Amino acid sequence: MSENEPEQSTRAEPDSYESAVERLEEIIDRLDSGQAGLRETLELCTEGRELVNYCAAELDAVGEGLKELRLDELAAKLDSQAA
Amino acid sequence: MDLPGPFPVGRYARKLQEEMRKRARVQLMGEVTGVGRSRKQAFFELRDSEGAVPCTMWLNDLERAKLPEGALRDGAELVIAGGPDYFPGSAASSPSFSFRATHVRLAGEGDLLARLEALRKQLRAEGLFELQKQLARPRLPKTIGVVTAETGAARRDLLAGLARRGWGGSVVWAFAPVQDRHAAPAIATALQDLAARPEIEAIVVTRGGGSLADLWAFCDETLCRTVALLRVPVISAVGHERDSTLIDDVAAVACSTPTHAAEAAVPLDCLAARRELQRAVAALRRSGEGAIGSRARHLGALARGPARALQRERSGLNQKIREIRAASERGIADRGAFQRRIATVVLSRARRRALQRAEAAVAEEGRRGAALERSAERAVRRRREALAGVAVALRAHDPERTLERGFVLAETGEGEPVTSAAAASALARIRLRFKDGRVDVTPAAADAEASERASRRP
Repeated sequence: MSENEPEQSTRAEPDSYESAVERLEEIIDRLDSGQAGLRETLELCTEGRELVNYCAAELDAVGEGLKELRLDELAAKLDSQAA
Repeated sequence: MDLPGPFPVGRYARKLQEEMRKRARVQLMGEVTGVGRSRKQAFFELRDSEGAVPCTMWLNDLERAKLPEGALRDGAELVIAGGPDYFPGSAASSPSFSFRATHVRLAGEGDLLARLEALRKQLRAEGLFELQKQLARPRLPKTIGVVTAETGAARRDLLAGLARRGWGGSVVWAFAPVQDRHAAPAIATALQDLAARPEIEAIVVTRGGGSLADLWAFCDETLCRTVALLRVPVISAVGHERDSTLIDDVAAVACSTPTHAAEAAVPLDCLAARRELQRAVAALRRSGEGAIGSRARHLGALARGPARALQRERSGLNQKIREIRAASERGIADRGAFQRRIATVVLSRARRRALQRAEAAVAEEGRRGAALERSAERAVRRRREALAGVAVALRAHDPERTLERGFVLAETGEGEPVTSAAAASALARIRLRFKDGRVDVTPAAADAEASERASRRP
């Protein structure tokens, strides 16, 4: 049981925003075509909602205002974190 | 050792000077560094990324060149003409090699472009222009690196471009000089340092506008080879004219302004993306609900289908039943008519026979009736005569007839005849019936008894 769960959760996790959006567009095209059966439609909707959540989270990650730092500051910050 | 010599070194040094001066005169181009002057001549190095040559120039030759004021300075791109020379030194001075320039001018666009074109051809032939372009560029990076001058409009424009995107990620600055011979190595180092940070997903290299000479650092072969081999996409926005510098050729994307570079670094317009996402949500919801709704309607229609078919079948059947009934009724009617015709014939025959029999019977009855009537009359007459006799006898016994003759009939109140004195004395009252009416009387014995019963009461 615990062996199946990670497999299911990684299935819907896209590796990038663009791949998520690409898949989302595919899904919506497929749904708009009206060719999907009921089961497929419901599965696509579920997958679509997961993708939307992922995309929203990605957008939220860059939605809090621009942060600036210098490369040496970044290095120093990472060093202090490592220490 | 079977070599010639040994020769006196001074003589050899002069011979070397002669040999040097015999070499062909050429033009050289490069960046000036280490400018200095003595009483009679100017000296400097002319270098590029691959190497350098020490140069000397007589001051009178330099004046003849009529360079603009201050043009012979570190960082200037110059074209010089001359040939190699060797100063053999003396008992008191050190020997030295130099390129003796007799003519000098500032490198023009044409010179730089020619050199640039040669480099471009070479790097393209090596396939270095394609490497960066094959890298995947994230549409929504969270962290980008920027190499630019610490002061300048480029930095401000880039930030404005990012803000317009609605992008609020992290910008990691790696400031570097962007003009002079130190620029190219510094920029290359900055790029490598940024690319070494795993969180940095794209790097922008930007600088404001200038002449090709000003931008020459961005045509540096070493820098451009470095960019080509980076595994992080580099977006160049150097100067204002597209494709004027070599870094534009090797970069993943070349932009004309820092604002455009911001858009290339973050291809996704975050504001528009949020709206798109809203639309996607709406489309999904519509499809999800629509799929169920439309299917439910379809199912409903399908479910009604059999009922309709049944109804159709039923109507058809009913129609057939009506037809069959009509047909059978027609058949029955036909048979009925036939049977009625037969029955009529049979019946009329039977009626005729019955009538004949009835007529015969009536005639017979008539005959019998007449005889019967006659015998009946006789019997009646006999009975009537007998009855009259009985009536006479009966009248003789009728008590009423006795009353008419003056006798009295004693009765109870209820009309029962009282036929003995004992019975009469037991009654409180007796009704006497005369021929003309009734009289109630009280027997005397009964009277005495009654008064006796009354006197015995206390």
